[in-house]
Formats: sequence, C-alpha cells, structure tokens
Amino acid sequence: MATLLGAAARRLGRGADRAAPTADPDAALAADLRAAIGSERVRADAAARYLVSRDASIYSEGTAGPLCLPTSTEQVAACVRIAADHGRAVVPRGAGTGLAGGAAPLGRPVVLSLTRMNELLSVDLDNGVAWVQPGMVNLELSRRLAPYGMHYAPDPSSQQACTIGGNVATNSGGPHCLAYGVTSAHVVSLEVVLSDASVVTLGDLTAEPAGYDLRGAFVGSEGMCGITTAAAVRLTPDPAAVRTLLIAYDDVSSCAATVGAIIADGIVPAAIEMLDQRCVGAIEDFARAGYPRDAAAVLLVEVDGPPGGVAVAADRVAEIAAANGAVSVRAAADDDERARLWKGRKSAFGAVANILPDYYLHDTVVPRSRLVEVLEQVYEIADRYDLTALNVFHAGDGNLHPILAFDARVPGTMERVHAAGREIIEASLAVGGALSGEHGIGVEKRDYMERMFSDADLDQQSRLRAAFDPHCRLNPGKVLPSAHSCADIGSLRAADGKIWG
Amino acid sequence: MRLGLDDDELTSCVACGLCLPHCPTFVITGRDTESPRGRIALMRAVQNEGAPITAEVLRSMETCVQCLGCETACPSGVPFGHLMETTRAALAAEGRITPWWQRLGLRLLRHRRLLLAGSTLLALAGRLGLVPARRLGLPARLPLRRGRHRASGSDVWLFTGCVMDAWQRHTHLAVQRVLEATGVGVAPTAGAAPCCGALHAHAGLATDAGAIARQVIAALSVDGRPVLVDSAGCGAAMKHYGRLLGTAEAREFSARVLDVHEWLADRLDALLANRPAAPLALTVAVQDPCHLRHSQRSHEAVPTVLGPFVRELVSLDDDGLCCGAGGAYSMLEPELATAIRSRKTAAVERSGASVVASANPGCSLHLAAAGLDVRHPLELVAQALDSDGDS
Ligand SMILES: Cc1cc2nc3c(=O)[nH]c(=O)nc-3n(C[C@H](O)[C@H](O)[C@H](O)COP(=O)(O)OP(=O)(O)OC[C@H]3O[C@@H](n4cnc5c(N)ncnc54)[C@H](O)[C@@H]3O)c2cc1C
Ligand code: SF4
Ligand code: SF4
Repeated sequence: MATLLGAAARRLGRGADRAAPTADPDAALAADLRAAIGSERVRADAAARYLVSRDASIYSEGTAGPLCLPTSTEQVAACVRIAADHGRAVVPRGAGTGLAGGAAPLGRPVVLSLTRMNELLSVDLDNGVAWVQPGMVNLELSRRLAPYGMHYAPDPSSQQACTIGGNVATNSGGPHCLAYGVTSAHVVSLEVVLSDASVVTLGDLTAEPAGYDLRGAFVGSEGMCGITTAAAVRLTPDPAAVRTLLIAYDDVSSCAATVGAIIADGIVPAAIEMLDQRCVGAIEDFARAGYPRDAAAVLLVEVDGPPGGVAVAADRVAEIAAANGAVSVRAAADDDERARLWKGRKSAFGAVANILPDYYLHDTVVPRSRLVEVLEQVYEIADRYDLTALNVFHAGDGNLHPILAFDARVPGTMERVHAAGREIIEASLAVGGALSGEHGIGVEKRDYMERMFSDADLDQQSRLRAAFDPHCRLNPGKVLPSAHSCADIGSLRAADGKIWG
Repeated sequence: MRLGLDDDELTSCVACGLCLPHCPTFVITGRDTESPRGRIALMRAVQNEGAPITAEVLRSMETCVQCLGCETACPSGVPFGHLMETTRAALAAEGRITPWWQRLGLRLLRHRRLLLAGSTLLALAGRLGLVPARRLGLPARLPLRRGRHRASGSDVWLFTGCVMDAWQRHTHLAVQRVLEATGVGVAPTAGAAPCCGALHAHAGLATDAGAIARQVIAALSVDGRPVLVDSAGCGAAMKHYGRLLGTAEAREFSARVLDVHEWLADRLDALLANRPAAPLALTVAVQDPCHLRHSQRSHEAVPTVLGPFVRELVSLDDDGLCCGAGGAYSMLEPELATAIRSRKTAAVERSGASVVASANPGCSLHLAAAGLDVRHPLELVAQALDSDGDS
C-alpha cells in the first residue's frame, strides 16, 4: 500500500522539471536499442548521459549519446550493429576510473557500460586460467580466487573499483607488476566484439598460439579495436611467504639510489614503491597507515616466495637500504599492518584531495638511472608554475606518477597545470622516457604522441587500428592525433554538445 | 536551483570512483546514476551548472540508502552524508521529495502514545489477517503486549526511541538487563525523549529534525550522565546533533552519546564477572549496521562484547556492504532494498552461522523479513547471562 500511495503521489504531487521540448536526436537510435536489448538496459535521459560523459581524469568535454548496460555478448553485438546503422560510434566503459579520458565519449556515441557483465565464468585449474566477464572488478576477482589459493596478479591502485575490461584496454600495471608483469602478461585469450558486430576469440590457452599474436595487439588498444566481452586471465598462486619493508630516508636521492642498488643486486622484489614526504602526509591524514611523516621519502618494498628465500631477500634489502643511507627500516609485523600499508599506498591519489581539491596525474616512464634527476626537475617545474607536486610511484620500473595538485576554481590555474604538465613530459622524454607507463593515452595525452613517435610510426599504428576497425567506429578520437586518424573525423561529426536539453 | 551545498564539500570529490564498489545501489544496478560519484556530480550539475531537476535526478537522490559506505571508502574525505542530507532538505523544502503521506507518518513518530496505540492496533489487525505485512515490509508479528519500562537508577540513560520501543521493547529490556549486570542503575528515556529525528533528517525534513534534537537535549540534560543507545541509527543521529544544531550545548550533548556496545567494551571486566560457565552453543554472524560501521565507526565494540558469550563468532565476507534497510528505505524502495538484501543473506549463508546479531532495529527487521534468525547482540548476551550455556 505504501508503495502504491507513493507511486500515486509521485505522479500527482511533484512533477519533475520537464526537459525543453526540443527534437531528441537520439530518439530513433534509443528506440532501436531498447527493442534489441530491453528498455531496462538503455538510458537516454540527461542525468545518465551526463554521468558517463567523463571518467576519473580532468577531461570534461565528452558528450554521451544513449547509455546501454548490456548483460551478454549478444547484446553487446546488437548495440554495436545498431549504432553503426545509425552512423554512431560506440565507446566501451568499465568503472570509469581511467585517468586519460579514454572512456570520455566524443561525438555523442552510444556508450556501452560493461558493469553488469561481471560474472566469474569458470575457473580452470588445469590450465591455470579463469574466464571472466569484462565488468568483473579487479579486486573482486582476486577475492573470488582466494578459495583456490590463487589471485590475479596485476593490482592497479584503483583495483578495488576498476574492471578487467578496462585493465585489458589500458594494459594496466600496478605495484606488483614489477615481478609479475603487467596485464598483457596475464591475459591469455579474449572474446571480442569487433566493429562489424562479429564475435571473435583472440589467442588461446596454448603457450605459443600459431600465427600473429592478435591478443597481444589488442591488449592496450583502449577500446579502439574491439569490445572485450570475456577474458581468460592467468591464475597466480598466492606466495607462501611475504615480507613488507617500510624504509625511510632523509633525502630523495638516497631513496632512489637504493632502488637501483636492489635491482643491481639481482633481487627482484614483488614491488618497490616510492613516496615523497607530501604524499606520506596526505595518506596519513586519511588512512593512518603508519608511514613516517618526517621522512623526506619512503620506500615500500615487498618480497615474496618460499619462506626461506623471502627471509634472505628481506635481510639483503635491509642491508642495501642501510648502505645507501636509509635512516630506518621496519618490517610489517603481521598481515594487518601489511594491509594497512598497502591501503595507504593505494589511496594516495585520492588522499591528495585533502591538500587541494583537484589533481592532474602524469604517468611517464624514465630509465631508473635518471629517476632522481627527473624528480628534481618535476619539483622545480611545479614550483615555477606555483603548483604543488607530489610523487608516489612504481620506482622499480621507473614509472613516475607526478601529481600536480591545485584548485581549479582559481582563474588561470588550468593553463598553468597544462603548461607544467607539458614540461614534465618533455623532461621525461628528454632522458629517453615514455609517455605513459600504464594509464593509457586516451584524449589526455593524445596530442603528445607526435613528440614521441614519428609520422611513419603513427601511420603504422593507425593502420593496425584500421585492420580491426576500418570505419573507426569504436572509441574514435583517442590515442592517435587527428592528423593520423582521418576516418575518425566522420564519426565525430554527429556531435551535439548539449546534455541538459 | 541552489541546493545550499558547501562548495568546498562539493569540490572535494575528485571523481576517482574508489567508492563505487562500496555503494549498494551501484553494486546492484551498475549505473552511475545510482553511485556516490554520480550523485555528487549531479548535485554539482544542479547547483553550479544550472541543470534542471529532472525525474532521473530525483530518482538518483531518492535511491540513495544513506548508508555512508562511500564516506568510509573515500580517500578524499568527501562528507557524503552531509551533502546528501543538505540536498534532500533543499528538495523537500521545494516539495520535490518526501510527499505528504510520508511527512504525516514521520510526524506521528514524535507522538508516543499515538504511536504505541497505532502499533497495537496494527498488531491486532495483523493477527486478524488484515495487513499484508510482507508486502508492506512490516515484521510478520508485531507485539500485542510490551514489557514495562522501569528505572533502576540514574547512572546512565538508555535511549528507547520511537518505533523500536513499540516493536522491539524486549530488546531494550534485555539491554537494560545487561547494563545492570555491570552494576549501574539504568533510566530508560521512554516518554521523555520520544524520537531521535534520524528518519526526519534522512527525509530532508531539517526543521523537524532540529526541533526533535532540541527536545531530546532538553529532556536528557538534567545531569551529565552518559546517554546510551542500542539502536545504531538513533546513536548516529544523536552523535550528530552538534553538527545539526551547531550550538555548544548540542556538541556537549553529542559527546555524551555512546552506543551501548562502546560503553560496555570499556567495562568488559565487570560484565565478564557474570559470565556463565559455558557460552551459548551458537554460531553467530555479526552484521555491521552502516550507522555503526560508517557513521559512528564503532562497530568493533560489538564482537568485543558479544564474543565471550557465544560459542563462535563469524564475520561476513561482503566487506560490510549495506543490507538495504536504511531506516524507512526498505518500505520506500522495496525493489532495490530486496535486491541489496539478497547479497547480505547470501553472505550469511556462506558464513555458516545460524543466528545473525544486528545492533540496529531497522536492519534486524529487514533481515528477519527474509527469514533469518536475527537478534540484537545484547539479547544474546542477556540470554547467556540468564542461562547456563544452552540456547
Ligand atoms: C585512484 C586511481 C589509481 C589508479 N592507479 C592505477 C595504477 O596503479 N595502474 C594503472 O594502470 N592504472 C591506474 N589507474 C587508472 C585506471 O584505474 C586504469 O586505467 C583502469 O584499468 C581503468 O579501468 P576501468 O574499468 O575504470 O576503465 P574505464 O576508465 O571505464 O575505461 C578505460 C579505457 O578502457 C576502455 N574499456 C573499458 N572497458 C572495455 C571493454 N570491455 N572493452 C574494450 N575497451 C574497454 C575504455 O573505452 C577506455 O578507453 C588509477 C586510477 C585511479 C582513479
Ligand atoms: S566520493 Fe570520494 S571515492 Fe567517490 S569518487 Fe568522489 S573522491 Fe572518489
Ligand atoms: S550513502 Fe550508501 S547508497 Fe548512498 S551513495 Fe553512499 S554508498 Fe551509495
């Protein structure tokens, strides 16, 4: 009765603002989508479209068309086909934690949110793989594998929220990828819907599949080569023993020197993360994880494997740290302390908001030997543009994550942020670094591609993409600068930037 | 439309999405409109970008359980609860949410006699088969008779509230029994402070919530004795009177409010002195009410207090995700509430427990309606104190 009354009252009492009666350019498209996959899986209202118009980056110029939440591969294919019939592009979306604007829809495309395809399909212990749907959350997968004594190794800091589909599309890394390898080393086979709505399987469970490694080409393609609808991922056995060390320094360069020395010694820790003092402060404010606030920099080093080897490696790391000027070395006493340290590390980006409301995160890779030099430049550049720089990163593989924190409400700030960002990227490229370690290119870094690659390189990449998606209907306008992806322009023309009527 | 939101609070969300898996409505729907990040973005669109309040914007706000799972998960410290309460207050003031029949129902909560009489009437009608209790989300069997409140001293207040006192007075009596076992005299608040105002604040009726808060503070400030609360929802609301009213008196009052388990955890020795020879032969799963876990952040006191009195305590593997009760939510959004609840019942099943201990009346009614055996943790403790080991 209460609900009946509620519904009646809703209808009578409190009408919502009606959207202005303009012709809806999505009406026919949305109707076809509803007919094909069920109206409860399609949303064409302003609120729903507004919210999928961006991801976790600061890029905010996207405009979504209808939003679909398919629950099967067939439905994904149907959406792709219908979008093509209406001359619209398709943008796949996972949890929207991307930091490069990869899931930002350009040109009012159909947005396919894969969040509802989140099942663990099968666990195949004989072959050491699990088949999962793309919307499966990274951490949830490891939780579901725990009863088998297994986990999924790549652990991006966003792992509690991001999806396997998004991980595959961006070839995500994470702290533990130093020893275990990034996503592409853990994806064995993929079921993919191509831009002509056909369904194909890339790669197979054999060690060396015959022919070209199309699976390898697909991983990291940022939604531009096809839509992942299922993935066979490698199971990694839980290590028998783990030791986590927290090492503090009075200066950043001793900290960086330790990283090089550990690797040179032949030890490959599961993870080596470096955090600077500002970052530690932000983390401690949120997580009270037990990081020393007074250290200029800290290293979080984890070694795992058989108990005997772990003890030896941990002792050796401690020795090397001491020899390189560490002021303290502390081992996590138990699983709780270890979990707290990692929780702190993985909430670093968000915790930055406790200092200033906005941040822009860079993701460059530099040779390990040049870390200190580039770090010093980062601080210097930020100072010059009157911005706050924080650093927390996968030091083991030289993947820098300089964060510029700022308040976008202050006029003129964005210009300074972008200018500083450009200089940071130049500085990294100048020492032989790369544009993106793991977050992808998306729209955010698209226009830097020309600094990193020659015209011939870019044309080649464009041809690879066209081999998968000749009409550039999947996630157009990303990664490749417009001069190298002419066909995208057609898909982007339909753009009508309005969302709220 | 101005929602009256604080700009710093609103901009503190960096849209990272780390809260998504901790939001029960997002986990069920997979839609950004039903997520914390989405709700905040819509608040921002309405307040700063002049977006209209469409039916979907309203739904986005109405479907929020206000469980605060997102607040605990958020590394940026976004005060989501306050943003949502402020938004709802603005929408309610414009008559966009909380229609008249809901307001009428909520007003009734302050009139204790009427409420108790109404509840008895409902119980009678239920016995005669006139009330489709299940469909309305009501307990299958409301009590026809209630034990009498009796003060045993004036060391502590025991806050008894509104609906809980009408439907679950036996819980208050059991809690009082346990408190007395530590040697204190307990004064139940009964008619002195008929309601805490939590549901009013959730529904956006800020003026009512404020008036109720002032009434409670005036009634319970005869001396500085602790105000103990055995309902997580009421405790959370009363601990926030300071923020709600913004006065020194209200802040001083809120500082005196404690969840009963918090208070008992500090007096465990006194309680354990009465421990029976053997614990209850039960495997009990502790359900963390959101208002204890996320709002008061004092849920860890429950296993501390309950543990010694039962054979085995098991924890649930669902990361403390909300059960979908949310005060009046289970009645107002039955479809979502039921879907959210089925995740909780599945977690209970996996845990192998035969009894669920819940420190919040709303959760316990909602979970019992799914067929689980749910008791207040202190009911179990009282039972153990009075028994000699058998359940
Ligand atoms: C706090 C924070 C910490 C982070 N830490 C890390 C880190 O340590 N390492 C790291 O690598 N990244 C990190 N990221 C970035 C981000 O989480 C990863 O890129 C992640 O893989 C994105 O997953 P998602 O599900 O959110 O994808 P989305 O953001 O929704 O999409 C990302 C890209 O994948 C495409 N895509 C999504 N699903 C599919 C699919 N099924 N098929 C085809 N294409 C698809 C989208 O079109 C888009 O181009 C972090 C982000 C945040 C906010
Ligand atoms: S509420 Fe917090 S956790 Fe959620 S998106 Fe905003 S900043 Fe991230
Ligand atoms: S309060 Fe609960 S339901 Fe509401 S947005 Fe936060 S997590 Fe979701």
